[in-house]
Amino acid sequence: MFFHIVLERNMQLHPRYFGRNLRDNLVSKLMKDVEGTCSGRHGFVVAVTGIENIGKGLIRDGTGFVTFPVKYQCVVFRPFKGEILEAVVTMVNKMGFFAEAGPVQIFVSNHLIPDDMEFQSGDMPNYTTSDGSVKIQKDSEVRLKIIGTRVDATEIFCIGTIKDDFLGVINDPTTV
Amino acid sequence: MSHRGGMDDEDDDDDYEEQVADFDEEEVDEEEEDRSGGKKRRRSSFIDDDAEEVDEDDEEEEEDDYEDEDYGGKSSRKRQKSKKGSASNFFDIEAAVDSDEEEEEEEGDDDFIVETGSDLPYDDDNRGRARHRLPPHQEDHEDLEAMARSIQERYGKQRMADYDEETTDVEQQALLPSVRDPKLWMVKCAIGRERETAVCLMQKYIDKGSELQIRSAIALDHLKNYIYVEADKEAHVREACKGLRNIFGQKITLVPIREMTDVLSVESKAIDLARGTWVRMKIGTYKGDLAKVVDVDNVRQRVTVKLIPRIDLQALANKLEGREVVKKKAFVPPPRFMNVDEARELHIRVEHRRDAYGERFEAFGGMMFKDGFLYKTVSIKSISAQSIKPTFDELEKFRKPGESGDGDVASLSTLFANRKKGHFMKGDAVIVIKGDLKNLKGWVEKVDEDNVHIRPEIKDLPKTLAVNEKELVKYFEPGNHVKVVTGAQEGATGMVVKVEQHVLILISDTTKEHIRVFADDVVESSEVTTGVTRIGDYELRDLVLLDNLSFGVIIRVESEAFQVLKGVPDRPEVVLVKLREIKCKIEKKISVQDRFKNTISSKDVVKIIDGPCRGKQGPVEHIYRGILFIFDRHHLEHAGFICVKAHSCVVVGGSRSNGDRNGDAHTRFNGLRTPSRIPQSPSRVPRGRPSSDSGGRHRGGRGHDGLTGATVKVRQGSYKGYRGRVIEVKGTSVRVELESQMKVVTVDRNHITDNIAVTPQRETSRYGMGSETPMHPSRTPLHPYMTPMRDPGATPIHDGMRTPMRDRAWNPYAPMSPPRDNWEDGNPGSWGASPQYQPGSPPSRPYEAPTPGAGWASTPGGNYSEAGTPRDSSAYANAPSPYLPSTPGQPMTPNSASYLPGTPGGQPMTPGTGGLDMMSPVLGGDTEGPWFMPDILVNVHRAGDESVGVIKEVLPDGSYKVGLGSSGNGETITALPAEMEAVVPRKSDKIKIMGGALRGSTGKLIGVDGTDGIVKVDDTLDVKILDLVILAKLAQS
Repeated sequence: MFFHIVLERNMQLHPRYFGRNLRDNLVSKLMKDVEGTCSGRHGFVVAVTGIENIGKGLIRDGTGFVTFPVKYQCVVFRPFKGEILEAVVTMVNKMGFFAEAGPVQIFVSNHLIPDDMEFQSGDMPNYTTSDGSVKIQKDSEVRLKIIGTRVDATEIFCIGTIKDDFLGVINDPTTV
Repeated sequence: MSHRGGMDDEDDDDDYEEQVADFDEEEVDEEEEDRSGGKKRRRSSFIDDDAEEVDEDDEEEEEDDYEDEDYGGKSSRKRQKSKKGSASNFFDIEAAVDSDEEEEEEEGDDDFIVETGSDLPYDDDNRGRARHRLPPHQEDHEDLEAMARSIQERYGKQRMADYDEETTDVEQQALLPSVRDPKLWMVKCAIGRERETAVCLMQKYIDKGSELQIRSAIALDHLKNYIYVEADKEAHVREACKGLRNIFGQKITLVPIREMTDVLSVESKAIDLARGTWVRMKIGTYKGDLAKVVDVDNVRQRVTVKLIPRIDLQALANKLEGREVVKKKAFVPPPRFMNVDEARELHIRVEHRRDAYGERFEAFGGMMFKDGFLYKTVSIKSISAQSIKPTFDELEKFRKPGESGDGDVASLSTLFANRKKGHFMKGDAVIVIKGDLKNLKGWVEKVDEDNVHIRPEIKDLPKTLAVNEKELVKYFEPGNHVKVVTGAQEGATGMVVKVEQHVLILISDTTKEHIRVFADDVVESSEVTTGVTRIGDYELRDLVLLDNLSFGVIIRVESEAFQVLKGVPDRPEVVLVKLREIKCKIEKKISVQDRFKNTISSKDVVKIIDGPCRGKQGPVEHIYRGILFIFDRHHLEHAGFICVKAHSCVVVGGSRSNGDRNGDAHTRFNGLRTPSRIPQSPSRVPRGRPSSDSGGRHRGGRGHDGLTGATVKVRQGSYKGYRGRVIEVKGTSVRVELESQMKVVTVDRNHITDNIAVTPQRETSRYGMGSETPMHPSRTPLHPYMTPMRDPGATPIHDGMRTPMRDRAWNPYAPMSPPRDNWEDGNPGSWGASPQYQPGSPPSRPYEAPTPGAGWASTPGGNYSEAGTPRDSSAYANAPSPYLPSTPGQPMTPNSASYLPGTPGGQPMTPGTGGLDMMSPVLGGDTEGPWFMPDILVNVHRAGDESVGVIKEVLPDGSYKVGLGSSGNGETITALPAEMEAVVPRKSDKIKIMGGALRGSTGKLIGVDGTDGIVKVDDTLDVKILDLVILAKLAQS
């Protein structure tokens, strides 16, 4: 799920950036530092949308670096248990398949794939129904439900299932 | 037998006989299967040694005494056993006994209490009292307690007027025996006849009345060969025992007062054996094997268990046919399901039988089989039922094909009997698996002894329900993140993807593999761990060097072993290694080049452009010998590690700046050993540190054959501890020239310390001088050029022949590196040719294998590898920064000078100064470039065969195009430098100079002087003295 929230961060800035463009430098550095990162609590920071407030800088003794407390608005993406997501399959193997929804990696175990879908090894490993009508392979788009998340410091990893109503392939690259 | 004749009740007598017989058979089983084990099991340690000698006596005596009895003496028992149609016969008997006498036996059970308290009149009244005190459900052993109590009651009345069941500890204390109480004597009796003896004493008391001055007689089930008699004086005991045929030796020991209570305290826990329980065999062939209880006979203390047979049919057939059987003790046949047809094929007669329940069995050789399982009746004591945790594998094995999982699951629940206290905690999600409430889910509210109060999920039910703990298992849902707390996978965490009854399938966090565990073994946890991630010094993802010269990355840590992905490019090779099979961790930071000669250092992201894993990409975790271990999080196998050749990769992006690389280069420094510093000089030998055992580790080994020339230490065998130089490698053995004895011996390759740690040669040469300080980053860009080329030089093969000179000739930097000059006093000759200064430079020692052996090994190869020794690296590891204090530069300067004189030209290999002079110009020259050159004759070693070829072309990647045949007309192959060695020219051969200023020139070898060749150069017609190593025979064109 996406959220638009306000976060705070202490930015250290090298003295060489001081000057007229200090604010711009600070913001661009913030974006560089923050976007794409993941915090366990808030999920992935997708984009910084605005700056709320930049506090007073504090000069660090000895280094000349200045620390600014920056409050910024950003869009974060955090997957939740039970959430339905659409994701792109990135890899298929006999244990299941991996899919990605933006920055989040989701693993769908073969236990969580409908029983009528069988793993077919080969050049393009895939899961196929017995009648061959549905096929999950790399680059397929699937709709899945997250049944578990594991939040590390820098990564969120999810386990998903497609063994439920209305879940499964939504767009097969081979048929397009 | 007279006293027995006195027994009024014939039935009773039989009863005892039965009972006794039973014990006897137990005895037989145990003794036969495990004589010593049987003895060890005796619990009272204070009689142990006695018991042992006595055993032997017993046997003899018994033989005399009971020869005529059916189940009596040992000898006759044995005889019976050898006749052995028996186990099955025994079954029948058993059945008969059961049906006839079960009731009486049961009754008799309680009677035994009284029997042991033999001074009481054997009357109903008393029996009633005994019963009264005993809660009816209490079991056999509890009578002991009751008995103890009754004894105390009887004799302790003065002190304790009011006997109450709920005695407090303090009251109990008061009951402890004191000096004024009668004493307990331990009397030896015939094995297996303890009870009988006690009963005899009782009978005697009945017959003789108060003449007998003993107070009680006690036989304990767990104590063989002894009974206890309570009496005031030893004489009383002797008197009472007189004439009893089961008591002999008159060995009577006083039990110290302190130990008296121990005699009668019950220590054995209630063994609750139910059918279907998993147990483990404690003794015999099946020791440690998992077995399933199929029948329990509590009275006879025997259980029938189902086992996977370990039977050597051939041996059995031999035995049955009376052929001689060679007893191989060490051999235990592997467990395998019995195929009766196989038995028939071996002409073993197979009978069909039915047991008491009408089940059909196949029987032969005295064993019963059904469905391939062996059904064996054993004593309860020979199995252990406590905390049995069958592994999945074992259970799988037990599940015969065709048998549905359900039955198994039911029996799995017996596992739960073994769970620890506090298994359920408040808040745990549980599900009922048995009884009316089956499949009811709920949450634990409160845990009593055996009952767990749960709050059911369904609303209409009462708030809490009490459910027996054994009817509950923990419940997890897919998606739960759990941690395995017991069992083989202990410590692993993962997410539940499937729940099959009480088996969960997890996706491990680390390996992304499926793990099957029991629901009981896991707890919900948000923690992410990798399970066990280290054993000893080795951790998951470490690069390690293995015993057999190979290396790899630890991709999985199991309970006692590691899974290692070996450093074999192209095909993943995973081996399971034990801790001791790992030599060391490789911690060097080195870098190599990718296909396009970009430097790859660890953590750089590379893409694989070749081979089976083509297209994958990821950061480089380890680099070793030109092989990269790449971690690709999308790669599910091998914990994400892929092993590829550096040449099949390209750097993507790259994570470090140039500056970094320089820094890195200096870190690499760590590993460096300078080839040129290698002490070839014998003079070094005495001064080397004689024994640092790292010596053994220094090894000339890159490549397959790197051992040759290396200094090794023999680890095993008659030459254990010797150090020497490897002269030759022959298959699995190596010929080693011992340092301490002037001889060459052959030892098994596995018996030598095999520690090669290799710094790719380029590293070495780059920093060859060791003196190169971090301050010279400017040089870095050059490296790439020379690197690949140097490899050829690095072939171990060459090392042998080229030894001393090669380094100097080859060290491109040597002449130019300013820092070196500083300390070398600008005398290139001295450092180049002089191994001598080496020893002189203290700092170098640590890096270098300081052993004399190393000195001897003296092949450049040896030295390189030294560089890589784990030791060294670990030493360095601490200080990987360029600013290491250990920078070799420092102290060498003055020393080298002083040492120079110390190393006389005595070395055969380094021709004195003259040689050096000759060399100096060469050194000064540009020596960059491939070692091998076109048109020279080489020996190509490949996959075991060796052929002569002519180098046609040098390929940019460092390999060579070689035309086979002495004139190069044969097939053209591509060979790596490591696979080739230049053909050593002989006198008056046409040669090509492969190194030095004259590199590329041709000439004629007009003489050989030690390791130097006297060459007449074609172009200038000059005569030069050059190291033979840089001379190669020119192909005849």
